[in-house]
Formats: sequence, C-alpha cells, structure tokens
Amino acid sequence: MMTMDNRQLLAGLEREALVCGRCGNCRSACPVYKAVGWESASPRGKISMAKEIFAKGRQSSLTGDFARRVAQCTLCGACARDCATGIDTRSLWLELRRRLSQAGQEPQAYDSIRDNLLSRKNVSTFDNEDRLEWAQDLDEEPEHLDRQEGAEVCYFVGCVSSFFPQAAQIPLAVSQLLMKAGVDFTTLGGEEWCCGFPLLSTGFVDDAREFARHNVAMVKELGIHTLIASCASCYHVWKHDYQEGLDGYDLEILHTSEYLARLVREGRLEPQPLDEVATYHDPCDLGRNSGVFEAPREIIRSIPGVSFVELEHSRELSLCCGGGGNLQSVDPDLSAQIARFRVEEIAASGATVVVSACQQCEQMLSTAIRKAGLPIRVMDVSELLLEAVD
Amino acid sequence: MEKNEALLQIKHLFGERATDASFERALYARDLAPVPALLVDPLFRTVPDLVARPADAGEVSAVLKLASAAGIPVTPRAGASTVYFNTVPARGGIVLDLNLLRGVVELDEAKMTVTVRAATTWGELEHYLNARGLAPQSVPSSAPSASIGGWFTMMGYGIGSVKYGSLLSQVRAAEVVLPDGEIRNLTLGSDPPLDWFAASEGTLGVVTGLQIVIRRNNPMSHYLLSSPDLGEIAGVLAAVKDAGVTPYNLHFTDDACVRAMHRQGIAPDGVSGGCLLAIDYEGAPEELAAAQQTVESLVAVNSSVSLLPPEAALEEWDERYKSLKLKRSGPSELGGEVWLPVRSLLSYLADIEQLARKLRLGLCTYGHVASPERAIVMTMFFADETKVFDYIIGLSLVKKIHDVGYRHGGYPYGVGLWNTPYLGRIFTKGQLAALRARKKRLDPAGILNPGKLYGWPPLLNPLFFAVGMKCLAGIGSLRRGGDR
Repeated sequence: MMTMDNRQLLAGLEREALVCGRCGNCRSACPVYKAVGWESASPRGKISMAKEIFAKGRQSSLTGDFARRVAQCTLCGACARDCATGIDTRSLWLELRRRLSQAGQEPQAYDSIRDNLLSRKNVSTFDNEDRLEWAQDLDEEPEHLDRQEGAEVCYFVGCVSSFFPQAAQIPLAVSQLLMKAGVDFTTLGGEEWCCGFPLLSTGFVDDAREFARHNVAMVKELGIHTLIASCASCYHVWKHDYQEGLDGYDLEILHTSEYLARLVREGRLEPQPLDEVATYHDPCDLGRNSGVFEAPREIIRSIPGVSFVELEHSRELSLCCGGGGNLQSVDPDLSAQIARFRVEEIAASGATVVVSACQQCEQMLSTAIRKAGLPIRVMDVSELLLEAVD
Repeated sequence: MEKNEALLQIKHLFGERATDASFERALYARDLAPVPALLVDPLFRTVPDLVARPADAGEVSAVLKLASAAGIPVTPRAGASTVYFNTVPARGGIVLDLNLLRGVVELDEAKMTVTVRAATTWGELEHYLNARGLAPQSVPSSAPSASIGGWFTMMGYGIGSVKYGSLLSQVRAAEVVLPDGEIRNLTLGSDPPLDWFAASEGTLGVVTGLQIVIRRNNPMSHYLLSSPDLGEIAGVLAAVKDAGVTPYNLHFTDDACVRAMHRQGIAPDGVSGGCLLAIDYEGAPEELAAAQQTVESLVAVNSSVSLLPPEAALEEWDERYKSLKLKRSGPSELGGEVWLPVRSLLSYLADIEQLARKLRLGLCTYGHVASPERAIVMTMFFADETKVFDYIIGLSLVKKIHDVGYRHGGYPYGVGLWNTPYLGRIFTKGQLAALRARKKRLDPAGILNPGKLYGWPPLLNPLFFAVGMKCLAGIGSLRRGGDR
C-alpha cells in the first residue's frame, strides 16, 4: 500500500518530529492555521505535541484536544512544500492518524467512515452494485461499460462521482468525451471498491491495503493496461500508494485531464469556440502532491475563445479548497471557511468559470460560490471540454 | 486593578480569540529553541496565563491599558521564529498573538512604498509585490515565517541588507501601541522616534503597522563558487563586497558545513568539501554584466576557486529560506549566531577550527554579509535534545563559540533572554544606560516583555553564567576523556 519512502518515514515519526525546527514555514502555508488561528492548529504546533508524546514518551499528552487538531488537516501538502528540514509532513499526518486509531483516540466520524466502507465498499449509503447508475443519464450507454476484458482504457470513476448526483456530471462528461473520441473503455462496475484513501487518511492502513489489493486484482483480471481516474485523490492513491500491489504490472495510470489532453492533441477531440473567462483551481492531490499542473491548463487553452487567467496562488502554491483529508466529516465549518479563502481569490480573478479536476474541489467551491452569491460557474475540466466539443 | 479581574475583562473582550486553556498556552512557552524544562522551569515562567489574539491596534491598546492597570506582563509574538526566547514570556502574564494583523494596507508605486499590518510575513509581502513587478528591498532568511514587525523589532539584517541596508533604513513610519495603550504613528522625527523601536525586541511598544520602501523586482544573476582554500574564498568575498557593483546577497559556507551537507546528500553535485560562496546580484542588465566581469575576473586570478554550474547557483538561491535543512543530521542543533566584523571572518574561522579540534566536535559555520562591515555568522553543531544532560552540557559550548566571536570583535546577534549575560559585550555602558532610560520613560512599570534586553535575570548574571558554563564545559570535557 505504501511506498518505501513512506514506510521509512512512518517508522521514523519520532525522529521526524525531532528534526522539525519549529521555524514556522509550514504555519504560513497552512489553510487550517489561517482559519483557526491558534498555534495548536499549525503544523509546527501539532509536530511539537507529537514530539512530546511519541519522541519523549509523554503519553499523557495524547488527549482529545490533540486528536481533534490532528483531524483538522486537509492533507493539502502545502506544509511539506515549505518545510525547511524536508519533512514529508503529509505522510507524517497520515502516520499520526494511524497512531491515534491504534490508541483508540480517533474521532467518532472516522469509525463511521470505516464501518461504512467495510460493509459497502464505497463512501455512500448505496449498494456497491449500483456503481453505474449514473450511466442511465447517458443518451447512449457505451457498449462495454461494465468490466470489459481487454478494454483499451479502464475508467476508475471513484465513489463520489459514482453515487452522488451533484458529481455525476463528471463521469457523464468523461464517458461522452471518450465515446466521441472513439475510445474503447470500460469500468470496474460493481467490482470497483473505494480507492482506500478515506481509510488511509483516517489511520486504518491495513483496511486500506485490502481495498487496494482488490482493485489491483480486478484490473489485472481484466487485462487492463491504461487506467484513468477523474478523482484527484483516487489518482494520487493509484499513482503513489498502489505501486507495491501492482508489483511491476504494466499499468499506465493517468488523470482524466492527462488522457483528455492527449485526445485533444491527437485531434480525436476538436474543441469549438466558447466565450468564457476561465481560471483553474489546482486540486492538491493532482497538482502539488502529484505534479500534474499542465494537462488541465492545456485543455482549457485548447478551447478557442476562452480567455485563461491564473489565480493569485496557483500550481505548487495553490490554496486548498478545504475538502481534503476527511476534514468535512469532522469539522464541516472549518472546511467551508477554507473554501471561502479560495473563493475570495477566484472572485478577484474576474473569471466567469472556475475549472477544476476533482469532484471534491468542485463541490466545495460550488457551495462556497453559491453562498457568496457570485455569478461564477464551477466545472470539472471534462465538463468544460464537453461543452466545447458538443 | 486585580490581575484576575484584568484577565477576565480581556477574555470577555476577545471572546473566542482569548484562551487560558493549558493545551493552547503550552505552545506559547517556546520559540525555535527546544531548551529543556529542567533548565527553564526553575528560572522562568514561560507559560503565559492568557493568550489573546487582537484584530487591530485598538484591541492591542485595550489589552495594554488593562495590563498596565493590573501590572501584568505582556509579551508580543507573531512568527516566533527566533531562538533566544525573544517572544517567550519570562514571567507569565499575557501573550499577544499578533497574527491577525495581516495584509497589505496600501501600495504606493509613485513613492515606492508599501504599508502593511505588522504580522504580515515577509514571504507574503514578497509574493504580493513580485506579482506586481516589485519586491522588498531586503528580507530575513526566515522570510516565509518571520513577520515584518518582528524583524523590525529585531536587528533587521538579512538577504539584501548588504545592498539596501538594515530594515530600519527602509521604514518610513510605524504604527506603535505604547505600553500605556496610546496608539502612535511614529517617524524618525517623532517623539519618541521610530528608531527607538528597531531592535527593541518588543520591550518598548507593540508595532502594529509599518510603511516601508520597496524596489523594482529586477532581473537577477547567481554565482556559486567553490574552493578548498578558505583564505582565497575570504579574499573573493571581500573583493566582491567592495567592488563597483554591490551584490544583493553574499553567503558563505565553510568546509565542515559543506562536508555535513555532502553526508546528508544536499551539497551541490560533485562538491564534497571545501568552502562555498554564493553571490547574487539584482539590477539593470548593465549592472549584471559588470558583476559578471567582476566574478569571472576574481575566479581567474584565484587559482583554487572554481565557478560551479549556473543550475547549482540557482538552486542555492532557491533554497535560501531553508538554512535549517542541515538539522536533519542532528536531529537537534546548537550554536551561536555572531554579529562579526567581515574583516575578522578568516581569523574567526581559524579559531573555530581550533576549537572544533580541541573539543573533538564538528563545528559547521555559515552566514551572510549583512553590511559593508558586518556579517551574521552562525556556528553550529549537532546535538540530540532527547539526551537532556548531554544537551545541557552542549549549551555550555555555545558560550565558547561566542567567546571566539568576542575575541574577533563580534557579539551575539540579538539578545532576548538567553543572551542577556552578554549585554556587556553587545552594548557599551553608555548605550545600555540610554536604552534603560528609554524603557523607564515609556514603560515605567516594566510590563512589556519583561526580563529581556536591559538586564540579566539573577541566575543569568554574567559571573554566575560564566562560572556555570565553565563547570558544565568541564564536565563535558571529563565525559569526553579530556579536551585536546
């Protein structure tokens, strides 16, 4: 489930906590600290407390207050980017959550997430066999949508896009684009299990490993060699955390934006003019944490008539939408506050449409923009492209 | 007014922006320096009674008025990115966490000034200005976390200072809340004058806003030189500093430090030892061309000095805010930061090398030139804070580093709490008397950041301190089986 680098780090949490120099570079970058304001909510504050507990053995400091602060994190990775001592803080937060779970100090919401996932294999309350219900809204259902052996491409839809109506526009758009481009694609259907990220990020690493094993086995069984994901977190997990399970299996893993940009480049999709001022919000797990910055921008720029503007913080410096790290399940108000910070920048950009490449970002930004009463549309990059080729 | 009543009133005034919860307060009892509780707790009360987060100068004023009336110590804090407990309470009381005072208030491109709230970090200001083709004239090496007000109340020398001078020389005006709660806009001509508050370490007033001079974000060029010969690299440093085109930044790294970087895998490719000298210029194309000639001619006449590839020089520049990266080899670091005459750099480093041999200790030195006359020099060694006894003995070696610095005309860079034993080295008697007179005039009750800057706490008086450190060093020497 985890890469070698991560395993080394997790074994060395105590040392990493000691290596922290408390310089505060992380604090300046942290959206949670910006919203909460107390030192205990800053990455350096959390690491200071972790040092006392785990490196200096003061177990009495492992309190509910500490657990609450550890859960208040979107795993956006901005702290890792700025760490002066090179701590992979994102992995450190995951390890801290694992230790909290081991100590029975995890938030109650984490247990609910786990129980639901273990029984349903997805984050919704729906049966996993209903994974492809979104496809009923397609005018024409693709021929090989459900578990087609040897398909050119397997689309890993992700739980949210599969089950939540407000996110269904993404798989609908992706499917229509793939059909227009003549791509032979399939999905894992009811055998697609959650990617495991919600388990990984709540500290239940062994359970996450089971989910990974299942998904990898399904992909191998179908003889799939190209997998695309429209969820930034699913993509990140497949790309980084599934490598051990893949064990050298020949699988090209792409975000849908990367694959769609390729189709545009190859002339298999031909965008027509749109009259929009578009900006792009980098999802943390796709951009900063996976290094995919250019493909979504390439798609937006390929659409004639679209004027593209960057946000004040973009690419590596992008601000989080507030929706990562299961924060919404433990502290929805904090999550919404972080989204408001991002929406302030979007409003200042003058864009008529904000494009992203993650259903969670889209949901967070849509809600915040609606509450702010701003006349800005929020779209996944696949939805914008579909509008242009339709 | 009773202390508890004042604290209650502040809690009522601030609501959720004030806390007396021990879980929160504990994190305000330290800065970057992980000094063991065994050493701190018997001497000081570093955990505040209350932490309050004011949103504007008016709220700072309200706290100071109540604190003055009740005689409660108040310690201002923003980035808390220093190491001498400058922003850590010595006597409990209230910590004013100023981090809500953030953001750019006004940019005046005609006058090339920007007005900011005091807790805006240098990193935030740099990002804001760069997006508009502008830049701060100088920044601290802790720019991502250090606040603008905080650096002003420290000494204010860093990256860019060799070209543009100290931060004090760039500040046109500041909004300051005085200890009695009066909110003042101060300039060099006001009474009290602005310069009283530079390097005052939050002991005279709480800075809540500043107007500073900025520059165009000019093109830059970067050079990284390597040499096994310390003498030659020091000569190049002096020549570059005094050449026709003043560099924007001049940063050096000694052989021990480069070796440690190499062991950690963060030295430039192909460099496993010797000294490094990073030279960075900013300015018009003709200035950069002249600078290139200067560097290339110096490399040509110093046979041991080689010019590393441009990518290495750029990487060194890009990593300028990550001087803590070597800490990974620790996991802890101890050291002394010395405000050293540039002319003494070579002799200082020679003595440090001798000290390292004597103590059988790896002493790594790096630093940057801060003005035509002075450099900020950090000499550090690796330690482990979990081995408390050894760590405390290690602290005694920090004094030995400062003693070497003193022999070469240097003194500690910043005072706070831990450098108060060196007050006699940092200031002349006349300077100290003048500083104390300012404090007495503006803060007669001594509520603002007490225990810092003007005198040493009883157990840190220079005599006790010297004897104590000598004893610890002696114990350390015995444990090492004697020094060489």
